[in-house]
Amino acid sequence: MDTVVLQDLSKTYPGGKQALRQISLSLEQGEVFGFLGPNGAGKTTTVKLLNGMLAPSQGKIRVLGLDPAKQPEKIHALSGVVTEHAQMYDHMTGMQNLIFYASVFGMPKDQAKAQAESLLGRLDLMEARDRKLAAYSTGMRQRLSLARALIHRPQVLFLDEPTSGLDPESAQRVNRMIRELAQNEGITVFLCTHQLRYAQEICTRYGLIEEGRLLAAGTLEQLRKRAFSGLTLQIRAARLPIGLPLRKGHADQYEMGIQSEEEIPALVRRIVEGGGQIYAVSAQYPSLEDIYFALTARGKETNP
Amino acid sequence: MKTAMLAIIQKDFRGVTSNKRLLTALLVVPLALTIIMPSIFVLAIHFTPDDPDFQKLLALLPPAAQTASLELSAVGLIFNYILPSFFLIIPIMTASIMAASAFVGEKEKHTLETLLYCPLSVKQIFRAKVMASFLLSMMVSLISFCAMVLVLELETFLLMGRLLRPDVNWLVILLLVSPAISLIAVTLIVRGSAKAQSVEESQQSAVFLIIPVVLLMAGQFTGAMLLNAWILLGLGALCALLAWILLKKSMTRFTYEMLLSAE
Repeated sequence: MDTVVLQDLSKTYPGGKQALRQISLSLEQGEVFGFLGPNGAGKTTTVKLLNGMLAPSQGKIRVLGLDPAKQPEKIHALSGVVTEHAQMYDHMTGMQNLIFYASVFGMPKDQAKAQAESLLGRLDLMEARDRKLAAYSTGMRQRLSLARALIHRPQVLFLDEPTSGLDPESAQRVNRMIRELAQNEGITVFLCTHQLRYAQEICTRYGLIEEGRLLAAGTLEQLRKRAFSGLTLQIRAARLPIGLPLRKGHADQYEMGIQSEEEIPALVRRIVEGGGQIYAVSAQYPSLEDIYFALTARGKETNP
Repeated sequence: MKTAMLAIIQKDFRGVTSNKRLLTALLVVPLALTIIMPSIFVLAIHFTPDDPDFQKLLALLPPAAQTASLELSAVGLIFNYILPSFFLIIPIMTASIMAASAFVGEKEKHTLETLLYCPLSVKQIFRAKVMASFLLSMMVSLISFCAMVLVLELETFLLMGRLLRPDVNWLVILLLVSPAISLIAVTLIVRGSAKAQSVEESQQSAVFLIIPVVLLMAGQFTGAMLLNAWILLGLGALCALLAWILLKKSMTRFTYEMLLSAE
């Protein structure tokens, strides 16, 4: 059974702003789904709809088989949410905050304490556990939010920009933890972000959203095929034979577009046999960033 | 979900006790109403005794309220007839301090959304918030009453050599009227705080709840209606009923979306 299902989901705000237009998606258990798009694309709206904070204007949502519009409390008991607007109490310490939320989730105190300690350790917050939140930095707050979302051992995680405001080291740590949660504990992760490089590190599948429309969804491979045909071959060489379809970059760099890796040996052989000297050959696949820009540019052409 | 609601109540209590400004506001009004003001009354009566107008006033009182000494009847009159209506301001004031920030305070601190992501319905959160403010207001009322009785008895004993006899009115007020009024105030203020845009706005609208009590006070002072225990009992029962209806009906139509929309 799919953990999260969205069918023809649309949301129009009372003011008339169309935030989402007919989004259809589904997430399997243990998947890390990257929901990518610029600010204002509709990512946060989607997270709020999935948790029943907003009612959909049209379409159907199921989270673990439950309808968030009808049984939001049941979904909340099974899911963890991190968003920019979901902060914690400044007058309480990190530990007190976690224990408070654990007891709101109905956890017994000793169990809550053990789980809080383990999470604080994993997120490198052990030293700050007894400090009031008012003294926390943005990055520490962000990490504590993740701990808070995980305190009741949820089955689904909704993360809205979890690494924004984090230094690279903390971002790596958070990413590693998210990946482990999905791989080892089978937690399904719905990750909204515009930090494409981090997304590429941990996501197993992606959805690209812009102005409320889902431009594309699939694995990196599938998206790549939609955005580009083939890959780019980069060669650093000298004394190249004439007549090859290579574009010259700076110094002795050359590149050309090819359809598949199968073309590479023949090309290399031709250069070598023609008297060329090869120092380096690499096949460059378009990164998530390249794909994202190609697809959003194409989206603009079809939906101006 | 008892633990969850208990956790919210505990957290809200800690929010007040750890905030010095709130705590002072919480203590100043009860202090003024139950210790300073009654003491002024007692002293005034003791040091200006033989006023003929005052004796005429005392003669108008029901015989039950008249005791041997003129001074003592005057103090008893104030203690049993005037102070109760002042006392009713306490639960309303206390309630307004905590309840006014119930929802809008969380909204301002960006913690409301986090609370909504917990497995509680809007109604359950509402109940927990009402409970927290209600308990606080009852605690402050009870402490204020004890402090007032202690101070007044001490003063009358030292100045007049006798102890005061609290009327049965006080029992009705402590056990029925004050809790009922407090619950009405808390429910209305918490509901208002869900719609308010800022804590200040919420507090300002809470102040209007004192008006009925002020009218009651005016009634007591002019003698238009001297409250006896039966009237109080009826009034208390009416308030309790109103409180129960309000608690049942409030927030039934509230959704997460409505709570967050003000952000």
